[in-house]
Amino acid sequence: MNDFFLAVGIGLCLLITLTLYRVILGPTVIDRIMGVNIIGTKTTILLIVIGIIYRRVDMFVDIALAYALLNFITTIAASRYFQRHKNLSPLGFGFRYKKEAGK
Amino acid sequence: MIWQLDLIILTLIILCAFATISVQDLLSAAIIFGAYSFLMCLLWTEMGSVDVGFTEAAVGAGVGTVFCIAAVFQTTRKVKVDHQMNPSKFIGLLAASFIGIVLLIAQGDFPAWADPDSPASRYLSPHFITNTIAETSVPNIVTSVLADYRGFDTMFETAVIFAAGVAVFAILRRGRGKEENDQAVAAGTEDVNQDLIIQWICRQLVPFMQLFALYVVAHGHHSPGGGFQGGVILGASFILLQLTYDLKTVLQRMSERWNVLLGNLGVFIYAGIGLLCLVLGANFLDYSVLSKILPATSPIMARSHGMLGIEIGVAIAVMAIMIGIYTNLSSHGDHEQGL
Repeated sequence: MNDFFLAVGIGLCLLITLTLYRVILGPTVIDRIMGVNIIGTKTTILLIVIGIIYRRVDMFVDIALAYALLNFITTIAASRYFQRHKNLSPLGFGFRYKKEAGK
Repeated sequence: MIWQLDLIILTLIILCAFATISVQDLLSAAIIFGAYSFLMCLLWTEMGSVDVGFTEAAVGAGVGTVFCIAAVFQTTRKVKVDHQMNPSKFIGLLAASFIGIVLLIAQGDFPAWADPDSPASRYLSPHFITNTIAETSVPNIVTSVLADYRGFDTMFETAVIFAAGVAVFAILRRGRGKEENDQAVAAGTEDVNQDLIIQWICRQLVPFMQLFALYVVAHGHHSPGGGFQGGVILGASFILLQLTYDLKTVLQRMSERWNVLLGNLGVFIYAGIGLLCLVLGANFLDYSVLSKILPATSPIMARSHGMLGIEIGVAIAVMAIMIGIYTNLSSHGDHEQGL
């Protein structure tokens, strides 16, 4: 049974890796915000899975609850930012600063 | 420790750290830093330190990234990049890599993870592990170490948070001149449209967040959590209200005067309980003497109750200061219009 939950945990970790790809390389900030939101959701589940592996779910469920309650505040704050500043992807933002600035 | 999860999470953390410092957009950096915080919390809980993980969860998800976004909102998203490699940068890079290599070599001498023979776990830890229940009747060893055995330390941690709040007030808080006042009145008429669905859902959610925060404060003796985490969640609930309604709505419920007063009160409760112990004839923050004034309490239970008292103080102080920092950061100190 422990092996099963370990496999679930590793699977969730790999899914986080896929999401992190979008978070790090995402062309616009909106991609990054969505990615972080999804990572937060997966973290909530992964915390419970770790708790089951350690056989102390009661210790981990509080942290997962805190994430479930607080996860979306960042998303709302970033959305409010874009309500005031309409420009989603201005030139010169991102990793390829020089190339875009030269256009 | 589950090494498979450890390996993946650590790799992702390093990727996140590199992305945060190399991305050319401050808003993106703040958001990637949010992902870093999630992974850090996973790593800590996975290593078994649930209290540290809880603090990271509350601070990282609740307030940390929001503070960064508010700061970017009031300043700029642009990073000034200097692509030329000047000598001072080169010397800095050289020094950083040298120290990094020295640290990497030195870490080979560290004791293994959870080694029972390491110096750290031979000297004091056995005492805490075997005697905490008998001496303080608190099942969560971390809480008793934090609030009782090294309560002095935690008191100054609270004072540091308080000082941070005071510093933000001193730097950012400003009144408005007459011209600015007219401008603000004109700007205040253009209403930023708030979404009804988000407003309604957050309004329903805030009481539950506050209830959960009170549970975290009160139940810190038995499960991970305590004053810091509960205070941050309480503060985050007010920040959520500011985000979904506006600054005015929150200032009506928690005015600046009350906010400052509560921040002071929290530190005062902590130091006052310590002083009360001194007055009753024991050392500073030696809660066992409180059994003289608490009815039907043995000295051991008095230590448990004393810890609850200071946790409440910490929670009040942290809540007030989180709200104060956010209010000043997001409105650029004039408390007119937030994020």
